[in-house]
Amino acid sequence: MNGTRILLIEDDAETCAEIRGALAERGYAVEVSGTGTAGLKAARRGKFDVLVVDRLLPELEGLAVIETLRAEAVRTPVLVLSALGAVDDRIRGLKAGGDDYLTKPFALGELIARIEALLRRPVETRATVLRVGPLSLDLIDRTAKRGDRVIELLPREFKLLEYLMRRPDRVVTRDMMLEDVWHYRFLPQTNLVDVHIGKLRRKIDGPGETPLLRGVRGAGFMLTSGSEEPQPLTGR
Amino acid sequence: MRAPEIFRTPSFRIAGISAAVFVLGVLVLFAFVYWQTASRETRTVDGFLERQVRILAGSHPNELIRALVLGGDQSERHIAYAALFDGHGRAIAGNLAALPAQFPVDGVAHGATVSGERQVRAAAARLPDGQILFIARDVAELEQLQGIVRRALLLGVIPALVLALGAGALLSWRELRRVRMVHRAVARILLGHLKERLPARNAADDFDRLAMAVNRMLDEIERLLEEIRGVGDNIAHDLRTPLTRVRARLERSREATRGAAELDAAIDAAIAGLDQTLGIVTALLRIAEIETGNRHAAFSDIDLARMVHDVAELYGPIAENAGIELTVAADEPRFVKGDRDLLMEAVANVLDNALKFAPCESRIDLAVIDGPEGPIVRVRDRGPGIPPEERQQVLKRFYRGDKSRTLPGSGLGLGVVNAVMALHRFRIAIGDAQPGCVFDLICTRLAD
Repeated sequence: MNGTRILLIEDDAETCAEIRGALAERGYAVEVSGTGTAGLKAARRGKFDVLVVDRLLPELEGLAVIETLRAEAVRTPVLVLSALGAVDDRIRGLKAGGDDYLTKPFALGELIARIEALLRRPVETRATVLRVGPLSLDLIDRTAKRGDRVIELLPREFKLLEYLMRRPDRVVTRDMMLEDVWHYRFLPQTNLVDVHIGKLRRKIDGPGETPLLRGVRGAGFMLTSGSEEPQPLTGR
Repeated sequence: MRAPEIFRTPSFRIAGISAAVFVLGVLVLFAFVYWQTASRETRTVDGFLERQVRILAGSHPNELIRALVLGGDQSERHIAYAALFDGHGRAIAGNLAALPAQFPVDGVAHGATVSGERQVRAAAARLPDGQILFIARDVAELEQLQGIVRRALLLGVIPALVLALGAGALLSWRELRRVRMVHRAVARILLGHLKERLPARNAADDFDRLAMAVNRMLDEIERLLEEIRGVGDNIAHDLRTPLTRVRARLERSREATRGAAELDAAIDAAIAGLDQTLGIVTALLRIAEIETGNRHAAFSDIDLARMVHDVAELYGPIAENAGIELTVAADEPRFVKGDRDLLMEAVANVLDNALKFAPCESRIDLAVIDGPEGPIVRVRDRGPGIPPEERQQVLKRFYRGDKSRTLPGSGLGLGVVNAVMALHRFRIAIGDAQPGCVFDLICTRLAD
């Protein structure tokens, strides 16, 4: 539908079916390979926008597939899937050439958000003022405004808003924010991110204003520019 | 056929070798004694003969003849043969018919054979008138003495040999018995009798020391197994509870769901329940990862003061929502060697724990203070506190006080803290703040 092609290399048929279904609903063309060698062949042949590679594959290990592709100068972004979630495993996955690493089991919303983050790199603008809808963020003066209303932000809230404004109309998950805004590698016992987002939302979306920062069920949060209708994340 | 087990034990081999060495030593000693006695006895006899022949040669010829003929005191003087020959070797007097062939006449004692067969020591001297005086002494006595020594040797070596081998056998038997006891104990342990220990009595004995070391290892293994068993029970309980809820809810919604909204709610609740169980599994794996990981290589200098401020910043909004005042007292940098992510997680978990138990409108104090062992991260709440008898328990995996059974969470937060502290060789101290609880993370500086 939108022409984006994703190669999924995963040997568990049921997992494949779920992922493929969820991605197809979002309009992605998904090709599936059940083994490492088949996946490698497909990745070399086809033009894919993202590869989703499981670590544990028959015939050829997932990381070996990625390493081979990287050695052949294939630069397609890769999302590594693994049941191995230890910090070392993650580091190994990224070293092999993966761009992101997702530990099983994961929420489908998390998977899609991360695939989309790989597809659409954040807005790297030289502009010193970021704008999303009525919001503007001055990176030099460290000030935020909605229309003419000045929003008072704490340093971390400023960073959080900047992160969201560089990814407008896209779902960002709690894990992504925790990793990228706070640089924390652990999952807190409490829904920390929700509380921080809640505080930020109260500052951005004043009473009577159109809500810009909204939760996406089963996935995370999204800052909408208000210009386009956000797509439902899972097509149920 | 193989030798009986006792002969194949190391102590029997050692006993065998020492017996052989002992016997060899005894043989050398006896040979020396034998040789010494023989030569000393010969020297004595020779001296006696040489003295006698000189005395006799110097005495008056008549005296000499009388002495030879009478020979009365010969036996007393141990002289077996005495004879006088003329210059041509013809016998004049005495009890010997002829001078032994080529016997040197020089007044010095030599060995000789007389009467064709008897071995003697003898000495001969030429008298002033050309006659030759010959006296000899039997060495039978000497041979007798040598015989005694030989017998003594045999009688000495045999019992020594028997004694050495016997002692070796006894030691081997004792060792074998102990090895068998250990075997039996190990067999019982393998059958699941984990309380069983190896026999050990004497701390000075190598074998017993080894057994004691093994016993200490068994103590630790038993403790760990107990812990795992407890964890297993707790995993079963903590996973079963949410899973049962999920299952029941799904079942009920299949049978009696009226609308899409209700179905959505049921599915959301099911997902939340599954997420909780997954959270428990993740936390367990995390503890295992921390405990087994060797992350010392990744240690760097961490400023505890800055870290405490970061954690406070992270948890600030949560405290605010709960109406809890969070104060931070950490102005001066305090550096320790550690893993930033893990230490942060530990401090965050302690604070998280405090926030769960702190009553509304109360205060939590976060501070970095200096202790005698090193800097201390102190978290103080004004909650119900932890009874002294439960303070060690709360650090174990899955422990949840009776009061907290209903609170959300994996029950593993403090378990993670404990694992992180152990990895850094730091300590946790839990105290009473009256009211409330004080958690001290004591960052003892590493000895190196």
